Amino acid sequence: MNAGRGIVWSWALFLPLAVFLLLMMSSAQVYAEVPNAVPPKGDHKGEDVPQPIEFPHDIHAKINEINCMYCHTYARRSKVAGIPPTSKCMGCHSVIATDKPRIQKLTEYWEKREPPPWNKVHDVPDYVHFTHEKHLKRFVFDNEELPVERVSEVCAFCHGEVKNMTVAHKVKPLTMGFCVRCHEANKGPSDCWKCHK
Amino acid sequence: MSGNEINRRDFLKVMGWSGAGVALAGCDMPTTVTLEEGKEKVTSYVLPEEYVIPGVGVYYASTCQQCPAGCGIHGRVREGRFLKVEGNPDAPLNHGKVCQMGQAGVQGHYNPDRITKPLIRKGGALVEASWDEAMDLIKQNVGAESTLKGERFAWVTGTVSGHQAVLLQSHLDAMGSTNHFAHEIVNNAVSQAVNREMLGEAQPAYRIDEARLIVSFGADLLGASQSPVHFTTQYAKFREAPRGVLVQVESKMTLTGANADLWLAVRPGTEGVLALGLANALLVKHKRDAADLPADVRDVIAKYDHDTVQRITGVAGDRIVKVAAWLNSQSPSLVLAGGSAEGQAHGYDTAAAVMLLNIILGNIGRTIVSSGDLPFAQMEAKSGNTAGLLALADTLDKGGLDAVFVYNTNPVYTAPSHLNLAEKLSAVPFKVVFAQFPDETAMRADVVLPIHSPYEDWGTHVAGYYGNQISIQQPLMEPLNPTTRGFGDLLLGMLKMRGVAGYADFEDYYGYIRQAVAALPAEMKADAGSEDKYWQQVLQRGLIPVQRKPRSLTAKAIAVSLPDYAQDSEYPYHLVPSPRLGMWDGRYANIPWLQEAPDQISKVVWDSWAEMHPLTAQKLGVMEGDVIKITSDQGAIEAAVYIYKGIHPDAIAVPLGQGHEKEFSRYAKDRGVNPLKILSPVREAKTGELALYGTRVKLAKAGRNEALVKLGGTDQQMGRKLVATVTADVFRRTEGGQDVA
Repeated sequence: MNAGRGIVWSWALFLPLAVFLLLMMSSAQVYAEVPNAVPPKGDHKGEDVPQPIEFPHDIHAKINEINCMYCHTYARRSKVAGIPPTSKCMGCHSVIATDKPRIQKLTEYWEKREPPPWNKVHDVPDYVHFTHEKHLKRFVFDNEELPVERVSEVCAFCHGEVKNMTVAHKVKPLTMGFCVRCHEANKGPSDCWKCHK
Repeated sequence: MSGNEINRRDFLKVMGWSGAGVALAGCDMPTTVTLEEGKEKVTSYVLPEEYVIPGVGVYYASTCQQCPAGCGIHGRVREGRFLKVEGNPDAPLNHGKVCQMGQAGVQGHYNPDRITKPLIRKGGALVEASWDEAMDLIKQNVGAESTLKGERFAWVTGTVSGHQAVLLQSHLDAMGSTNHFAHEIVNNAVSQAVNREMLGEAQPAYRIDEARLIVSFGADLLGASQSPVHFTTQYAKFREAPRGVLVQVESKMTLTGANADLWLAVRPGTEGVLALGLANALLVKHKRDAADLPADVRDVIAKYDHDTVQRITGVAGDRIVKVAAWLNSQSPSLVLAGGSAEGQAHGYDTAAAVMLLNIILGNIGRTIVSSGDLPFAQMEAKSGNTAGLLALADTLDKGGLDAVFVYNTNPVYTAPSHLNLAEKLSAVPFKVVFAQFPDETAMRADVVLPIHSPYEDWGTHVAGYYGNQISIQQPLMEPLNPTTRGFGDLLLGMLKMRGVAGYADFEDYYGYIRQAVAALPAEMKADAGSEDKYWQQVLQRGLIPVQRKPRSLTAKAIAVSLPDYAQDSEYPYHLVPSPRLGMWDGRYANIPWLQEAPDQISKVVWDSWAEMHPLTAQKLGVMEGDVIKITSDQGAIEAAVYIYKGIHPDAIAVPLGQGHEKEFSRYAKDRGVNPLKILSPVREAKTGELALYGTRVKLAKAGRNEALVKLGGTDQQMGRKLVATVTADVFRRTEGGQDVA
């Protein structure tokens, strides 16, 4: 009896712990493994936005493993990530893949000294102050457990798995609710003026 | 909602459904997406500048050109676009502050009504033309080969200074003309004339920050004045502990009046009498030493005893006694005359009576000190006034001009109807206007040259007040319109066109300014190391400090002669055409921000109004919003009544700024009236300035009501205790408050 009671008691202690551990593991499986971060929740089925050149993010970011910030170099310094200047593209493509039609089209723009007229996919209203710089600081540069090589996982919070896309698709809602829940989960600022200033 | 009518019930239905949608959709399903994808373009650089980061602003120092004060500014530029004006903290004139007009410069720059192409009059109408065509016309009419010479040519400008003034003078010299008419409605020309006679310097510096008591006779230091931001920063120091006391004497409350500790409504035009009354009290009651005053001055002062002054000015005797006692006990003090005191037929004597108080109180050399002389006299500001406008009209009357060049002033709008300026100008065979906007004067030109906005152009300026620096104006961005040109470049072009020696080598105005800075004395650049580094330093700071050579001011008391107050039975009221920080003289009616910014006193927006005392309103039987007809001997205007106690019952104030012709701006058209149009031909007797406040009017009901659009519904607290008050006795007892006297 004594032993039996002991078993009952230990099960009673173990059960919630087991449930807790299971939950912990399942949540770890559902969400990306960026340390010290709870990714935002929510999805959005974006439209196909045709671009002047069907830029293949997959070739650059997945196959060739180029860091997002190599091209979107302003993300860590400014509120905008910035479309890379044409000169940056030509830095490689004056010698690489010059026989491909997309590169030939790019070269035409370059020679005309005109940037390709890209269509905007991700945007927030003018009354929203969103800054890439602060978000990268919080999740990447001040996050000692995340090497900067893995920055694309943080980018994916709001932009989705761009490395699996050609041209970008909007796959996250980027609405105020989306932002606020993430701010709550990650203890981001909740002051109205942080974003509406 | 046109084209997509939704009535209120449908709207509520839609609201209900989407509300339900939110409830059903659960926590993490957003129901709306705010922005469309793929509708906007996003443009990258082709080749980025090294220091440019998209989204991060860069600040360039420059000089504000919104009014002649010449404050230092920082312009924020992002992605090549000029976005915002801030004050330049390195500028000793404005200490990093800038006013609403300075802020609103952005909306002038991006204004949709800017002129972008040269216009030439063909068959009676202005039509777009090429620069070549426009410049050929100018060459034909005023070029080296033209027959036009001498006094038949004139420049009409606002206040000009710096190298602009230098080049303009060179052009006049080349034309052999001395006709430069500089015109500003907001000016202190009468005070300058008085200062020149009594102090030996036209524009001394006022040490507002040093004064313990300021008595201002209509000087709107904080509003429409020579240097509103400079005066305001000094005023802030004046109000620091021990707090200075401000007394404002005027017939219509200005922004400065609204900030005063004691506001005295004086019968319009009797400010000088009150000044002499105070002088009388100081000499008789307070036994101030009058030994240095000439006998004739003492005789004049003796005439203005307490009762006489009370009778003429309408100011209660105890107030006169109180202010005199303050003046006697608070030292140093500062007594100033401003627009409404000067703008009378006897404005000179009024301002002189005010200056007399400073002499009696020993303020000269303490709160009124020498500004000194700029080592580069040719760059000193040539301040505009109304005598310039009248002189232009007189010259035109005599048929004396064959060609007129106009820059940075709009005399057709500001000139009273009795001058018939539009008509007289049209008789001039060749009129060129350098303009940003199709204002009244530009629309009457034969050639309109579209110039850069001040944020696209180079320049150097010396402030008319506190000109202790050469202020640098540099472009904050590339010109918005590739077809506008810089005023300096055009001036240089005119000089080259006349074949004036010494200018051929300068490719553009920038080159000229660089050369001028390079030619500055070496000791000014000692710290910089090299010429290039010095230039970079100058651009970064936005100014070159200069040491002015101080003079010693005289304190020459002069006997003044002021008229007794005369009633006018036909025109019993005094018209106060009131300027304000914001609309200024009407040049900013095309800027929506400034139209939207409420008048500091009435809080009215986007319109004209007629401000009157409740007693006057009662006499006329009008309520707020009732339209009245204001008639002078020169015509009539109509405006809705605004009733306020901050005005003398004999005065009716109509703000400057509205009543523009429709071509000027989409934002200003069909809006309000221009009170300058009905001014009587009264001139200040000694300076020949237009007496802006010297017009008598009669009032009549127009028989309709137009609700005034204004912030705030009532000026009463309605028992709500919005502002808690205690009596002076309680304040003294419980909070250690002290009366200044």
